[in-house]
Amino acid sequence: MLPEGGAVNTLTDKFATVEGVRLGLKEVGYIAARQIAHAVYLAYHLGKPVLVEGPAGVGKTELAKATASFMGIPLIRLQCYEGLDESKALYEWKYGKQLLYTQLLKDKLDGIIGGEANLAESIDRLHQYDDIFFSPRFLEPRPLLRALQEKGGAVLLIDEVDKSDDEFEAFLLEILSDFQVSVPEIGTIEATTRPFVFLTSNSTRELGEALKRRCLHLYISFPEQGLEREIVKTRVPGISERLTAQLVSFIHQVRTLDIKKVPSVSETIDWAKTLVILHAENLDRELVRDTLNTFLKAREDIRVAEEKLHTLMEHALKEAT
Amino acid sequence: MDRTLEDFITALRRSGVRVSVAETMDALQAAALSGYGDRRLLKDFLSVSLAKSLPEKEIFEVCFSRFFAVDDVSGEDFLFEKGDVPPTVQGTSLLTQFLLSGDDGGLALAFREAAGLAGIRDIQYPTQKGLYMQRFFQELGMEALDRDLRRLTEEGSPEALAQAKALESMRNHLVERTRNLIERQIELYASARADELSAEHIRNTRLTAIEERDLARIHKIVQKMVKQLKDRNSRRQKAARRGHLDFKKTFRKNITYGGIPFNTCWKSKKIDRAEVVAICDVSRSVANVARFFLLVLYSLNEVIPKIRSFIFCSNLVEVSPLFEKYPLQEALARLWSGTDLPILMNRTDYGGSFLDFKDQHSHCLTKRSTVIIMGDARNNYWNPKTEALRFISERCKRLIWLNPEMPSLWGAGDSEMETYLPYCTIARECNTLRHLEKVVEYLLRVN
Repeated sequence: MLPEGGAVNTLTDKFATVEGVRLGLKEVGYIAARQIAHAVYLAYHLGKPVLVEGPAGVGKTELAKATASFMGIPLIRLQCYEGLDESKALYEWKYGKQLLYTQLLKDKLDGIIGGEANLAESIDRLHQYDDIFFSPRFLEPRPLLRALQEKGGAVLLIDEVDKSDDEFEAFLLEILSDFQVSVPEIGTIEATTRPFVFLTSNSTRELGEALKRRCLHLYISFPEQGLEREIVKTRVPGISERLTAQLVSFIHQVRTLDIKKVPSVSETIDWAKTLVILHAENLDRELVRDTLNTFLKAREDIRVAEEKLHTLMEHALKEAT
Repeated sequence: MDRTLEDFITALRRSGVRVSVAETMDALQAAALSGYGDRRLLKDFLSVSLAKSLPEKEIFEVCFSRFFAVDDVSGEDFLFEKGDVPPTVQGTSLLTQFLLSGDDGGLALAFREAAGLAGIRDIQYPTQKGLYMQRFFQELGMEALDRDLRRLTEEGSPEALAQAKALESMRNHLVERTRNLIERQIELYASARADELSAEHIRNTRLTAIEERDLARIHKIVQKMVKQLKDRNSRRQKAARRGHLDFKKTFRKNITYGGIPFNTCWKSKKIDRAEVVAICDVSRSVANVARFFLLVLYSLNEVIPKIRSFIFCSNLVEVSPLFEKYPLQEALARLWSGTDLPILMNRTDYGGSFLDFKDQHSHCLTKRSTVIIMGDARNNYWNPKTEALRFISERCKRLIWLNPEMPSLWGAGDSEMETYLPYCTIARECNTLRHLEKVVEYLLRVN
């Protein structure tokens, strides 16, 4: 489907094996668990959108970004929110421009119509130009339309789709199943190359069955310790092996505590960066107490963690050796 | 279509995962890509294309491991010791020959065939175990095996006796295997089915007959319903009514452009979050449904942020803090026993309780709130004090009365339902989950 033969080959090469996908994602800085690599591979071969769910901060959005740079195509992102509608997501007429042009061209119009003798003839005359103000030149493409128009294909990320309204979800169905949209004034616009679609959701509400049916469903949970260590090492170069082991073990214990918001992977990375900047070689009580706020954002949570600090530390140090 | 995959999807569906035809096609394609060699790859591929939510993923995990474990039975599990068995006697049945010659492959095939012929995948209830085992043995040729066994024993020669002994132990082994196989099939196909049936049963049971052990399950069902209600309601949907130009606003905004409407303003409608006030009767006359009402109340508390809950008997008390503090079982127990609550459990006084509400809590009513009253309106012939209810009714958006009694009993005896009825936006009979579902549906429709 792609225009240039070269691109086709490289993409098919990239997606030739499951292992190849995993390594390719790793190269662009995304350490993928087995399931994630498998899902991306399958989605490419079936040409289906992927719905990614999971707790906040496990790298759902990051996965889309990584896939885009792995495939070497642009990422187009649509952030969903309550009240998002077609005009913000798909296309909009440049109303201001249309109005401005009609105002500017007033005299021209007079000239064109002026020569005609009666109303019927004037209207006939006008009909020759009727679509001029509703042509692609006055069309403002929004993310969805842009993704369809992208020549070499694109990764389309529809972020936090659960935040949008039911109506918008229904509207997405057409695009996700046929990869085409109809603009009444222009006609149907079809995708030149099917975009690789990711939808993410934090499950603030249950998504519709119809939407789920059209997507592959990937659930990303918090990574295992080994994987998270690898993630930290890739993202925070220069961090020592021991510190990584300690801090990952610590974070994993914090996740089992009864707190409001468990620390996410991105917060683990933030903490690791902080510790590197502070030239820490080891976790110690004072250091942890001072930097708790990099991954715990509620006062109540910090209090809970501080209370248990001693046991958490001991366990983390023991597990890391 | 691929028979294995078809069976697997059947098992998934029976366990409660909804699988559509489109998803089946995806799964087929996925399985074709992965093949059946690499189980982990196959599992990931199928999981991604068939299970579409976290609970479904969990069911999928269990189902997948069970299903493919069953498949393995006929393969490697079936090693019998070979060697010291003398060559087969002519004229014995096929099964005997497989067993005596240690032909695992043949046996596995026979097993699979028998399983297919006996239709063990259709098993529906755990009680059908005996029946299906018998059918399975019949298809496997157990009768012929028994005949051979008898003949060998009757022959009496040392050689034949040795064979008979070996055959006997293998037969026992075979029976054991079959039992395991059937039990696993039950786990796979029947247990979820039984669950489903009892859930259906519970829905239609009158709540007066509600039992302690079903409480958790009912809680789950109620929770699901209430959550559905909340999902549709509470999101402040800013339904932009496209096509309705706000002319006044547009004109004001565009005065700067000499009245040419460069910036247009559209009318939009805001829908407010649900505000609920729930009032529940816990007196003796409704004792057997009160538990259910409290359950509903508790579930409402879990999902609706702006809710005030009250219970009453002779007087009215607020219980919202209790729900927040304790888990379900304990909260219910506390409400039931009245521990730490200033509630008087004398004779029910609807009028007095409404008056209490009017005097002490009416400030929590706004023109957006929905008031839900749960009770039988049996007032022990006391003054119904309708004006108190009218006061409440006038100050809220709507008043819903859920009555555990049938409408034909409303107003009979000491029931004041007819007196109260004019002030209710809607009054419904509610004593099964089915009824509750209808009420929830009504609430959804009105919005």
